[in-house]
Amino acid sequence: MTGKKKMLQALKAKGVKYIFGYTGGAIMPIFDEMDKLGDFRFVMSRHEQGAAFMAQGISRASLSTSTPQIGVCMATSGPGAMNLTTGIADAYMDSVPVIAVTGQVATGVIATDAFQESDVVGVMMPICKQTYMPLAAEEVEATVHEAFYVAATGRSGPVLIDIPKDVQDQQLPEDYHFDANNFHPDLPGFFFHPSPEREVMQKAITLINRSQRPVMFCGHGVINSNAGKMLQKFAEKVNIPIAFTFHGLSAVPADHPLSLGMMGMHGTVEANRAIMEADLLISFGMRFDDRVTGKLNEYAQNADVIHVEIDPSEINKNVPTSVAINADVYRTLHVLLGDPMLTFKPRKRWFEKINSYRLLMAEDLQQEIEGSVGDGGKLLMKSIVHQLSELTKGKDLIVPDVGQHQMMAARFYNYQTENSWFASGGAGTMGASLPLAIGVKLARPTERVWSISGDGGFQMNIQELGTIMEQQVDVKILILNNGYLGMVRQWQTLFYDGRYAGTPMQSPDFGSIAQGYGIPYLKIETPEEIVPALQKAIDHQGAIILEFICDPSEVILPMIPAGGGFEDMIIKRPSPTPEEPSATTEQNGEES
Amino acid sequence: MIRRAILTFMLDRPGVLNKVSMLIRKKMYNVDTLTVCSSRVPGISRMTITLREDDEAKVEQIIKQLEKFTEVISAKELDTDHSYWREVAIIQLEVDAAHLESFHGRYNFEVLEKKNEDAYILQVAGSTRQIDSFLDEIGREYIIEIARTGVTAMEK
Repeated sequence: MTGKKKMLQALKAKGVKYIFGYTGGAIMPIFDEMDKLGDFRFVMSRHEQGAAFMAQGISRASLSTSTPQIGVCMATSGPGAMNLTTGIADAYMDSVPVIAVTGQVATGVIATDAFQESDVVGVMMPICKQTYMPLAAEEVEATVHEAFYVAATGRSGPVLIDIPKDVQDQQLPEDYHFDANNFHPDLPGFFFHPSPEREVMQKAITLINRSQRPVMFCGHGVINSNAGKMLQKFAEKVNIPIAFTFHGLSAVPADHPLSLGMMGMHGTVEANRAIMEADLLISFGMRFDDRVTGKLNEYAQNADVIHVEIDPSEINKNVPTSVAINADVYRTLHVLLGDPMLTFKPRKRWFEKINSYRLLMAEDLQQEIEGSVGDGGKLLMKSIVHQLSELTKGKDLIVPDVGQHQMMAARFYNYQTENSWFASGGAGTMGASLPLAIGVKLARPTERVWSISGDGGFQMNIQELGTIMEQQVDVKILILNNGYLGMVRQWQTLFYDGRYAGTPMQSPDFGSIAQGYGIPYLKIETPEEIVPALQKAIDHQGAIILEFICDPSEVILPMIPAGGGFEDMIIKRPSPTPEEPSATTEQNGEES
Repeated sequence: MIRRAILTFMLDRPGVLNKVSMLIRKKMYNVDTLTVCSSRVPGISRMTITLREDDEAKVEQIIKQLEKFTEVISAKELDTDHSYWREVAIIQLEVDAAHLESFHGRYNFEVLEKKNEDAYILQVAGSTRQIDSFLDEIGREYIIEIARTGVTAMEK
């Protein structure tokens, strides 16, 4: 029995079905053994970054199924491992459990600058929850079990196992013994509080009952603890509106009467205005990042904050908390729902106010969506997303890339399926969509998966079309091509006097690319073609690429400028001439 | 800025010290001293970090970030009223015997070596303030070389 065999046995014992990766000198023994054992479906990415995102896709999409799995990616030493880093840093930012296994040069040559040697543990340490380098075959199995435990316990995150080549091949000692069923890692300081404390819960309930203008926040923690339905029940029980963080989307149906939609930089007017005027924020599983709060000293100044969060270091980090509940979201909601003291309040005036905010931009947006094209006659992304939403009844799985189209997908798809939104949030990694969608589809094979990218992000991991071709993964690929890096262009329009530095982009003929990979392709240039093309994608069995020619001047509004407060929210399209003041804020707009 | 001491116990595993120093850099904490030694229990190390920080929330954040490491068993702030903070300095300096004699009884020091008539290597132990005041009184301009351990601390 060898280290490599123990590694694979332990992965199997932890329920791993897929291994994403790319072989190379230092990981060959494990790949060879994997091939012999035949226990896994190996998916070869075309770049290691792709493998890291595919592993993320498995973890994220499967967590709400009856068979949650932790995604595993593998790469060789040096450049192989280095190519994983972006996908791993992304997983760390977005609290996604992923196990990265990298081959390392043999122990005898470590630290000699051997061929393809990099200090992988050193590089990965700040972007991983934990890193390991087993130095003997008998350490391997326990390391894998501990790695899975650490990755998924408390706030999830990626874990690295860097295993030297000779350790992979090393024989276990004859007296080797490991009992996986009774294994518990010896980490006396690593624990978390799953259940909330009674005393703080009483404080929270008093605040909730007393509040006149409360807003509830649905964050990533709600998705991660499968608590969407509980949150909805709780919101209905106490009649409190729900605002979503970017990663909280799809936990509760987007068109629920209590939903305010997404909050923050590109959040809805109603969500941001309600937060500004709230007297209580009840936040479930989120971290108050800068895209959510804007300028901190102006954020929700009149509100008490109840913060339910599994990671204690997030409590009081950015926003001072009135009641800190360091616990699992699901268990906290369970306790709240069972409490007889909680009262339903009609909050008539509060909802009237909120409804008036809902109307602020509704007409403009409706007009844009119905018009489907911008001033130049090219398609509007929000209209494409809206029509996709209508056609699929909001039930499909959406995997956007990063940028303007991502915010459109966040705002204009009517999410109905719990855990149906998968995106790179904290790290904002362009190119995430295509490989992430592959993982999502493999984890949820019976559901339809849409990868939505811009022309920029699509080309960042375009090589994964090879994986889609080889593995025959049925991902519907939408490229919203506006010839620019749209989100940066929007900032340039609003804040850089329309100087488009480094954003115009020439793209290849995506039709020829698609043909090269044997994937059907359609180009859509007029509004009438949108629905038939989407329908064609739905009817086609297998991957398909739809390229939409989009209006580069489209903007996603509202927008709170980076570093600005909620008062600075931009709700009107900017004037087209760069000489004039570049944006209209709420203060000088018609609203107030 | 207020001087703070954080005492933390952690598993003696590879990379722990690296993690702590990366945290200090990443979060841009203003660290004065950092000492590590083994504890009473085999496999568990104790680390004392002193830093200058007025903001209570920032200190709380450091402690939470330390506790987040899987290897860290506990981390807490020690206040001066309820704990001892001590360090040791080894000093090579020019001083004559008579001058040195005047420090006896007032400072806890020991002559490690008499190099010649007016050059000594001394060991001074005590609080940071005591060592600082020893150095001030003896005259910093006469010091040839100095090595200080940094603070280690224990609760009363």
